[in-house]
Amino acid sequence: MTGTTQSVQSTLAAQTTLADPALQQGAFEPIRSELRVQALTRPSLSYWQDAWIRLKANKRASLSLWIIIGLLLFTALGPQVWRVNPAEQDLLQISSAPGAERSAILVAPHSPWAASDVPPGTAAGLQLVGRATTQQVRLAWQPIPGAADYMVYRNIVEPKGKATFGLPLGPTGSGDITRFEDMLDLQPGISFYSVVPLDAGGNQGPGSKTLRVEIVNAITLQQAADRRLLEGRKTPELGTMIKLPFHPLGTDYLGRDMLARLMQGAQVSLFIGIVAPLLFVLIGVVYGSMAGFIGGRADQIMMRFADFVVALPFLLFMILFKIAFGIGPGESGIFPLIVAMVILLWPGTARLVRGQILQVREEAYVNAARLLGARTGYLVMRHMIPNTMGVILVTLTFAIPSAIFTEAFLSFIGMGVAAPTASWGSMSNDGIKSMLTHPHELFFPALLISITVLAFNLLGDGLRDALDAKLRSRE
Amino acid sequence: MLALALAAIILVTLLMFGLSLLSGSTKAKPGADFATKTITVTLTDEPPNLDSSLTADQISSFVLGHVMEGLLRLDENNQLAPGVAEKWEIRADGATFWLRPDARWSDGKPVTAHDFVFAWRKTVDPASASEYANIMNAIRNADDITAGKLPPEALGVQAVGDRMLKVQFAKPVPYFDRLMAFNVFFPIREDFYKATHGRYASGADMLLYNGPFKMVQWVHGAHIRFEKNPAYWDARRIAINVIDIPYFTSDPSARVNLFRDRRIAQAGLAQQNLEEAQLLGWNIRSFRDGGVFYVEFNHRRDRLSRNRNFRKAIQYALDSSVEVNKVIKQPGYLPGKSVFPIWLDGVNDKFRKEYPAPEYTPDTARARAYLARAKQELGLSKIPPIMLLAGDDPISGRVAEYYQDMLKRQLDLDVRIDSQIFKQRLAKMLAGDFDLVMAGWGPDYADPLTFGDLFLTGNVNNRGQYSNPAYDEQVRIAQNSNDRKVRMDAFGRMQQIIFDDAVVLPEYERALLFAVDPQISGVVRRVFGADPDFTYVKIAKE
Repeated sequence: MTGTTQSVQSTLAAQTTLADPALQQGAFEPIRSELRVQALTRPSLSYWQDAWIRLKANKRASLSLWIIIGLLLFTALGPQVWRVNPAEQDLLQISSAPGAERSAILVAPHSPWAASDVPPGTAAGLQLVGRATTQQVRLAWQPIPGAADYMVYRNIVEPKGKATFGLPLGPTGSGDITRFEDMLDLQPGISFYSVVPLDAGGNQGPGSKTLRVEIVNAITLQQAADRRLLEGRKTPELGTMIKLPFHPLGTDYLGRDMLARLMQGAQVSLFIGIVAPLLFVLIGVVYGSMAGFIGGRADQIMMRFADFVVALPFLLFMILFKIAFGIGPGESGIFPLIVAMVILLWPGTARLVRGQILQVREEAYVNAARLLGARTGYLVMRHMIPNTMGVILVTLTFAIPSAIFTEAFLSFIGMGVAAPTASWGSMSNDGIKSMLTHPHELFFPALLISITVLAFNLLGDGLRDALDAKLRSRE
Repeated sequence: MLALALAAIILVTLLMFGLSLLSGSTKAKPGADFATKTITVTLTDEPPNLDSSLTADQISSFVLGHVMEGLLRLDENNQLAPGVAEKWEIRADGATFWLRPDARWSDGKPVTAHDFVFAWRKTVDPASASEYANIMNAIRNADDITAGKLPPEALGVQAVGDRMLKVQFAKPVPYFDRLMAFNVFFPIREDFYKATHGRYASGADMLLYNGPFKMVQWVHGAHIRFEKNPAYWDARRIAINVIDIPYFTSDPSARVNLFRDRRIAQAGLAQQNLEEAQLLGWNIRSFRDGGVFYVEFNHRRDRLSRNRNFRKAIQYALDSSVEVNKVIKQPGYLPGKSVFPIWLDGVNDKFRKEYPAPEYTPDTARARAYLARAKQELGLSKIPPIMLLAGDDPISGRVAEYYQDMLKRQLDLDVRIDSQIFKQRLAKMLAGDFDLVMAGWGPDYADPLTFGDLFLTGNVNNRGQYSNPAYDEQVRIAQNSNDRKVRMDAFGRMQQIIFDDAVVLPEYERALLFAVDPQISGVVRRVFGADPDFTYVKIAKE
């Protein structure tokens, strides 16, 4: 624009001088084109180029943009690189934290414990039978006089008194049975097993025994073969150490790989986050600009209808659509979610765009263009749309995080994706149940939701600043 | 922006600090107080109905079990003990109860045989529409009265004077004495009932009490308080003065928090609390509530699961031991092997010792062979997605997802999980809207029949509508015989049929874990009746 003004002024100057008869044509020499270039103060920039420069200058916004690009790459390319089935359960590595010990000893498959395995009288006090592994821990003990039954306990700390034996694993069922096999959720490390005699009424008697047991991680031949861990070994020998599958972000409560699930969740979250806002913002732009441009009674009617749509409850409609589309239990609720969003969330954009159009319509330059004979199409394309684009883009970037959040919320309450498909919301819902014991199951999906929502919000913030023409002229 | 965030953080911190100061300033009452002999506990919800003749839910029976007493009761070892009746006799054609002279209501008047007659007639009266009227069908004419064919006065029970109650049976009921501890058989005094003008049991003053405690306060939805009942005939047995219930919450973590702060004497524990409970050295106890859980197939005509080979395939693909040890991970749970739980009595020993459950090892190859045969019989090259109906609690969700993966990996079956709240799940089970359902059954009485008749043709609780004349025959033997050996043999054959025909797949026998204040002892957990029972509690000095 600056360049254009300059040239107009010089042309005017040339005309005035020509009107003076005292000055002759030959007294002048033409201005060389280079001089005109010199007169430019800065290069001509289009609206978008300028916005881009300003966005790049905004550190927060450009960082957010990089994060979003990274997330898109994580979603699109991640599953190509990290080829692990997100639904596959590994019950040997349940809720393992990132960086948990992965080596396990190869052992024979579990077989029922026959009574003959413990020769009578050899069990002095309370002792281990065989090796204590995460497959099983077998205990045997000397009969305690007067016991009608025995209760076996396990504790992660050493018991200090008679009320602190820890987890009651179960009774043996009879005073004659002096052995117990524990297979319950065994974790490598130190455990304290206690055997407490019970009287006929089920009350604890004296003479309890406690044993410190070190449990080692173990895998059976069959389990190792199922997981293809024995490939490349000619004759796998019992007792050798092998490495269990690697899970960089740990596993969840059914031993599923967290990283693979987060990638799958990202696909769901970003798909909804981008498709739904694109659709409803588009509807809002068309509706709002029509209302604003036509104006008058039509505008009144259209905007009252938009107010009516705002009043419709989202969750209720989401459920209604789910039923209307015949989506049964156990099937994904993603489609009705998108439909509900598109049908119910456009009025916000429509209102904003209408307001903007009404404002632009009254601007002097629009009137000028109209007086010069500009047609409606030209007015809309040249003046209206570019001047509302900032608002539209900002609405879009703010709509994306709210859509992601809505999906996360609906999956959290069990109305979104269906198992075994993961989404960040459903993963958070699963993780919150074991928040205290296995925080990583909640932490990673919650972190990703937070980062994504924050990044889109900051980017929207930056875009608003960058696209706002008024802010620009003030600088 | 940064300053704003900082300000927000400071504000939130201050707010939390302020709140904790506030809550700290109100003096917390301890869960077990030796000086006043008071224990404080929680209820999951408001008691839905305290009219003993109409109600049978867990919360109402807990309350009624503490404030009322039937003819007989269960003692601290869950054995039958005399209650209002000091002697009793069960015959093949009926029963007689002799009431003790010192049993009194909280207003001082004696408990008489007429009070029982009034309450029992009220239960079977079609006008009162009691859900548990069918438990009375052992008594002569009970069914006809409920059906409206006879007046309630025709019920086979009469008071001979104030202190003798005679009952005539419709059929032999060897376990009739055990039913007497059940709250539907508790007494209600007619003159008091009529004086309440339809508001009976609507408040603490709208009930008469003949049990170890009386309810002195009932703020609906908020607070219940029991105090020792001086009129109770065995008041000397009761070692505590007050049971205070100032918290109604169904949130398990809220209860654990209250227990951690020592505000309540007992709290149930979930899997995620166990690590903390061990580290803090809590007194952890477990209790098998007698319930059996199983995967039930839909045997209705239009369902794939009607095919026996299909059911056998699933039977050999799932492993209840892995499910309990790796997925549920709760101590005390017993991997399911039979629908008859281990605590049931057989002829001379436990039923499961005399009639061991059929043993089998899960076997993928075998499961696949069964599935191939099922596909052939059904004429399908690929089994369409099957619907697994499950509860909405965390354990059911995990188990359902485990099944989904196991069946996909081993049999390439697509399973859709339908998680529903309890009421909705029940409605869907009744309507037959499922292929597989994770179901369970809590016993109504201590006889294998309470589990055995679940798969009888025409039983309302036979949700899968399994129908097998050979099975029905065994149930009929068990129902009509009075010979213990004959009956147990019949149950043994039912157990075999359930396995052979894969009627249901036993999952587990449930256990509840709870932590108890180390100061108190004598909390009795029961499979039947008021659970937990605090009437035997003693408080030790700190």
